[in-house]
Amino acid sequence: MSIADATLIPTTKRAWLTPARTTGLVLLGLLALFALLGPLLVSVDPTEQDFAASLASPGSDYWLGADHYGRSMLARLSHGARLSFGMALLTVATAAVPGILLGLLSAWRGGWLERLLELVSTVLLALPGLLLVLILLAFAPGTFGPLYLGLALTLWIEFYRVTRVTAAGVLKQTHVEAARLLGFGTGYILRSLVLPEIRPILITLAAFAMSTAIIAISTLSAISVGLRPPTPELGAMIVELLPYYAEAPLHVLMPGILIFLLVLGLQLATRSDLG
Amino acid sequence: MNAPVRFQSLTVSGLEIRAGNTTIVRDVAFTLSHGRPVTLLGASGSGKSLVAHAIMGSLPSGLSARGIVKLDDDDLLAGSPTQTRARWGRTIAILPQEPWLALDPTMRIEGQVGEIHRYLHGLGPAEAGKSMRDDLAEVGLGDRTKAYPHELSGGMCQRVAIAATHAAGASLLIADEPTKGLDAALRDGVVDRLREEVDQGRLLLTITHDIEVAAALGGMIGVMLDGSLVEFGPADEVLDNPQHEYARALIAANPTRWPALALPTAGEPIVSATGLSKRFGERVLFDGFDIAVRRGEIVAIVGPSGCGKTTIGNILLGLVRPDSGEVQRSPGIAATRFQKLYQDPPAAFAPHQTLRQSFGDLLRLHCLAWAQAEASMRRFGLGQELLDRRPGEVSGGELQRFAILRALLLDPVFLFADEATSRLDPVTQKEVFAILIEAVRERGLGLLMVTHEAALAEKIASRILKLPA
Repeated sequence: MSIADATLIPTTKRAWLTPARTTGLVLLGLLALFALLGPLLVSVDPTEQDFAASLASPGSDYWLGADHYGRSMLARLSHGARLSFGMALLTVATAAVPGILLGLLSAWRGGWLERLLELVSTVLLALPGLLLVLILLAFAPGTFGPLYLGLALTLWIEFYRVTRVTAAGVLKQTHVEAARLLGFGTGYILRSLVLPEIRPILITLAAFAMSTAIIAISTLSAISVGLRPPTPELGAMIVELLPYYAEAPLHVLMPGILIFLLVLGLQLATRSDLG
Repeated sequence: MNAPVRFQSLTVSGLEIRAGNTTIVRDVAFTLSHGRPVTLLGASGSGKSLVAHAIMGSLPSGLSARGIVKLDDDDLLAGSPTQTRARWGRTIAILPQEPWLALDPTMRIEGQVGEIHRYLHGLGPAEAGKSMRDDLAEVGLGDRTKAYPHELSGGMCQRVAIAATHAAGASLLIADEPTKGLDAALRDGVVDRLREEVDQGRLLLTITHDIEVAAALGGMIGVMLDGSLVEFGPADEVLDNPQHEYARALIAANPTRWPALALPTAGEPIVSATGLSKRFGERVLFDGFDIAVRRGEIVAIVGPSGCGKTTIGNILLGLVRPDSGEVQRSPGIAATRFQKLYQDPPAAFAPHQTLRQSFGDLLRLHCLAWAQAEASMRRFGLGQELLDRRPGEVSGGELQRFAILRALLLDPVFLFADEATSRLDPVTQKEVFAILIEAVRERGLGLLMVTHEAALAEKIASRILKLPA
């Protein structure tokens, strides 16, 4: 219920940095350091084999142990983190930028343009995302290009749809009409009036898309249609190590834990205040 | 049919509402008993709504109430949150502002009233249906039980809300601005209904800024200013012979008591339209309507709600396209010199921008200096500290003055005021119109105002155009 005496209630500045956000940001920061600096500091080649150290436990020779070919887990994990996280970031950026721009355009212009974009997005939405990726992958199996393109093609629709609906809602508001009467142009209205209001929802959406992309890349690699071994990719690593679960359970879990920590960090960092 | 009324009186004394270490409402005391409703008058920001929420136990977080609020012998401030919630609806009910927003838009009104009998009182479907029909028949809606809220007028929605409180059997009714946004005829209907509630023995506390409502309800009137009750007494005494300076100003600010306005002769026409017609679906709003607004005159459009008053102004501004007819603006005037003032001031400002940001952007766009805006702010009695607040943190009256200031910065020749003061208290309304009239006089502004307040239009308009329902 609205309170008519709004002026009497002192304005409280809500702390932006909630404990959940801090945890999430710290987690993301550590993971970023691991992914960026790890490959530089650990000079071991992630594909170098040493059969004497096959399935070595974490210890002084191999800090996080070695896999069945005796490759350093630390090197493989940090390379894998860089690859997975980098790919996810690129995929989401490729999906978000056109998605948001087309959404704004469609909300602003309406008419045939909106109908056309709606048709395209509905058709793409009707195709299962995985199928789209698989079709594209058929052209060049085991490479990054089609994987990335396929994921971006399925992910942009969410950005487009959410932007269009929320921006259309903002554009109908009285203050936008007032801004137009005051002489403000389209650019100002979209940039300064619409975007700030829909930003929180887009950030949340981006975090979800990022998680989806990471899990999709790992899943596809796990079922051997994504990146191929010996590329150190987190999903592929899990599948490679799975047969040795009985001897070295920790090794199988490590790539999974890394994915889990990243998704958790993303969700915590972008949690809304109300949660 | 009505649940027995269990409580005899509500006593408030030494009520204080604090936000952290600042006291925002202090020393509020009054007693409300059978047949003697209390009406609190005051500007928005005077703390009158907070008093209602303190009694209800629904203060926003961060605020706390102290003092004595007793319903007979029950101390309302002492109970736990669970006890407070248990009273809502059953003992104390609030009639919301703008009830069409408080009712469930997806549910027929029979369901909204019936579910109270069904689930709160635990009656069977047949009995609940019968009680529901009785409740709705009593407020004169016996034949509309199948209607959805959007099919009813604002006044009817308010009556549905009253029927719902009947069904719950609340003995204390708090009506928070019950007539906000209603035109005179609907307003009188709601006031009559509230009077009947009092006659049936319910305790009634009304919060309003409309003096007509306070006068019609009778009983006791309290006037609030800056968080204190500055005047309290029987209605006719307060209205005829107010003691406190602010109470006098408030009562004198009722449009019926304004002095008549004499404007210099109007100049050339700025905008005119001929043969306008507009329909929404099957309904014809107007057909063959002519209007012209000249420099230095005030034209008022009056009529009941929903008759298309606002649409005419929007057509003149080019915001709505008429089905037929033509609009001519006098040539060579920049489009930004045609401006509009909105009914709901917070809606006219971007909610996430501070006023400093939105004014800064406007001044930059039109290459104006801050000094000019600051000079006008001083003239309109707006403090510099308000600039760092967001629209939701400024009172309606202040925000409407900001809206006028914003429009006047662009040196308008035509201003369309769409119910611009209907949500403001009389004192603020008078101040706002003083500023507008000054602009009309000094700058030759052509003012088109839409209002449902006939008295206001008669006092200040040079010409009045009446629209039929």
